[in-house]
Amino acid sequence: MVEFIQIVVNGIFTGGVYAIIGIGLSLIFGVMRIVNFAHGVFLVVGMFTTLFFFERLHVDPFLVIPLVVLVGGLLGVIVERSLLEPIARAPEHASILMTVGIGLVLSNVLLFTFGDAPQIINTRYSTSTWHLGPITFSTALTISFFLTVVVISGLALLLGRTDLGRAIRAAAQNADAAELQGINTRRVRSLVFGMGFALAALAGALLLPQLFAHPSIGPTYTLKAFIVTVLGGMGNVAGAIGGGLLLGITESLGAAYVSSSYRDVFGLAAFLLVLLLRPAGLFGRSRT
Amino acid sequence: MPQTPLSVSHPAVRRGVNAGPWSLGWVLVVLAVLAFYPVVFRNFLTLGVTIVLFAGMATAWDVLGGWTGQLSLGHAVFVGIGAYTMALLVLRAGVAPWWGAMAGVGASVVVAAMWGAVTFRLRGPYFALASIAVAEMTRIVANNWASLTGGAEGVSLPSLPRFLGLDLFSRRVEFYIALVLLGLAVVAASWLQRSRFGYHLQAIREDEDAAMAVGINPTRDKVLAFLASAALTSLGGSLYGIFLGFFEPRGMFSLDLSVQLALMAYIGGVGTLFGPLVGAGLLVGGSEVLRIYFPGKSLFVYGLLIILVVLFAPDGLGTVVRRVRRV
Repeated sequence: MVEFIQIVVNGIFTGGVYAIIGIGLSLIFGVMRIVNFAHGVFLVVGMFTTLFFFERLHVDPFLVIPLVVLVGGLLGVIVERSLLEPIARAPEHASILMTVGIGLVLSNVLLFTFGDAPQIINTRYSTSTWHLGPITFSTALTISFFLTVVVISGLALLLGRTDLGRAIRAAAQNADAAELQGINTRRVRSLVFGMGFALAALAGALLLPQLFAHPSIGPTYTLKAFIVTVLGGMGNVAGAIGGGLLLGITESLGAAYVSSSYRDVFGLAAFLLVLLLRPAGLFGRSRT
Repeated sequence: MPQTPLSVSHPAVRRGVNAGPWSLGWVLVVLAVLAFYPVVFRNFLTLGVTIVLFAGMATAWDVLGGWTGQLSLGHAVFVGIGAYTMALLVLRAGVAPWWGAMAGVGASVVVAAMWGAVTFRLRGPYFALASIAVAEMTRIVANNWASLTGGAEGVSLPSLPRFLGLDLFSRRVEFYIALVLLGLAVVAASWLQRSRFGYHLQAIREDEDAAMAVGINPTRDKVLAFLASAALTSLGGSLYGIFLGFFEPRGMFSLDLSVQLALMAYIGGVGTLFGPLVGAGLLVGGSEVLRIYFPGKSLFVYGLLIILVVLFAPDGLGTVVRRVRRV
């Protein structure tokens, strides 16, 4: 039983980070109707930005997070303005192709800059743990989870309580009507893409202490982001939180109790089943 | 995002009006010109086989992706089924590779029928996402089911029996088989351009609800297009397996391969006869050239190329040629 709780706890901790990735993808899809195939690469950009600051400036990886988020947000706005805005009215496949291309370019820029060797970050708390009764918590993961909760709460407040949040939700529901109400949807789109990139970069920074960073791992996380958003309902931000936790727990249980080589199949099968049976997501109302 | 409603200036209509009785003639001309490739470029046969083979598979992809408008990012499944069915029958049962390729077509058609029946009620990005999930699951299963597929270690082909007296491992022979396959796919596409069934598919692509309103059964027609696309892709996969001689699930069922097929069609122009051929030539030939002049940077330029095409030639480069020809 202790083992089971331990596994679920680990799943929740990873799931929180998955939720952050999923929320970004979901926001982008909701407002821009773009399925962002570069999302996992944005996460890797975050990882390497963190690595860069850590190695060059010798600053604690958790302290540079605001910088990483800022870099991600700026890159997101630049990418949106220069590459996605011009094709906003093009058919759907154009944006899919475009994001595939953006992902290829970004991951190869990382490859040229940081090389082909997997990199890892070593901090004094990388291996330290603390205990709550029989359950062990990794210090790095605990800090990550704490930050995750803060960020998600902040995001919920932003989306739910501020004018900007209302503008974003309005643009997601009906862009034309939002425009008629005086909302500058063009600016909202840039902002949302910047937020999505920033959130993915943040997730990369949070995952860094427990993972090897390599320029080629982007697509794995793009796929995870798809799974999270489909579980929660495309464009449903609250659902993405549930989807992230569910994926984290499923993966961690699957790896522990079923063969770990088939671990990803369970996530994908759940993804396919939800797509077919509840296209609006596990927590969504169906929306036409 | 819906396309603009059908008007005379719409690319789909222009294509239809322009088709004329000569497109089949053009197909023959292009294939005949290509047939001289092994004579002229004696030293670049491997490149030629890759281009023509991928052109064939991209044209097969286009039957579903371009003509029917259903974006699949999982076609590597059929490449893998074609290659593995052929190879495993050769290795385990001593069946000749051409019968193995036929068996692969059968298996691909069955898989496509189930896949399509289940996921074709999904539209737009949802269908594309589901296709990724199906392909990734297939890859993981193929990777782990070692007793059947040989697992991550892959399979390598032994010496193959001669096909009509021809050595299947000769690049020249592979080139002409690939050319026949490309011919089959392009003739299928040119039939879609003018046949009643092809009009059904194009109507579904433009507006599925309107197509249904005029009495077309979208699910049935989409499944039929998927079967044809899967069968042709599977044939290409069998040949690709022979061409490689050694392969593993990671490459054969990869998302990269699926994306590549789709990109070739898009870059050349979807729903056109020769778009996928143009795209395959550019991407395969281009990445080969890039590998020589920008070693290690070919994927970067590849990505850049995609971005430029989407920004400046959204209908594919094939249509740029047409636009220039008109001026």
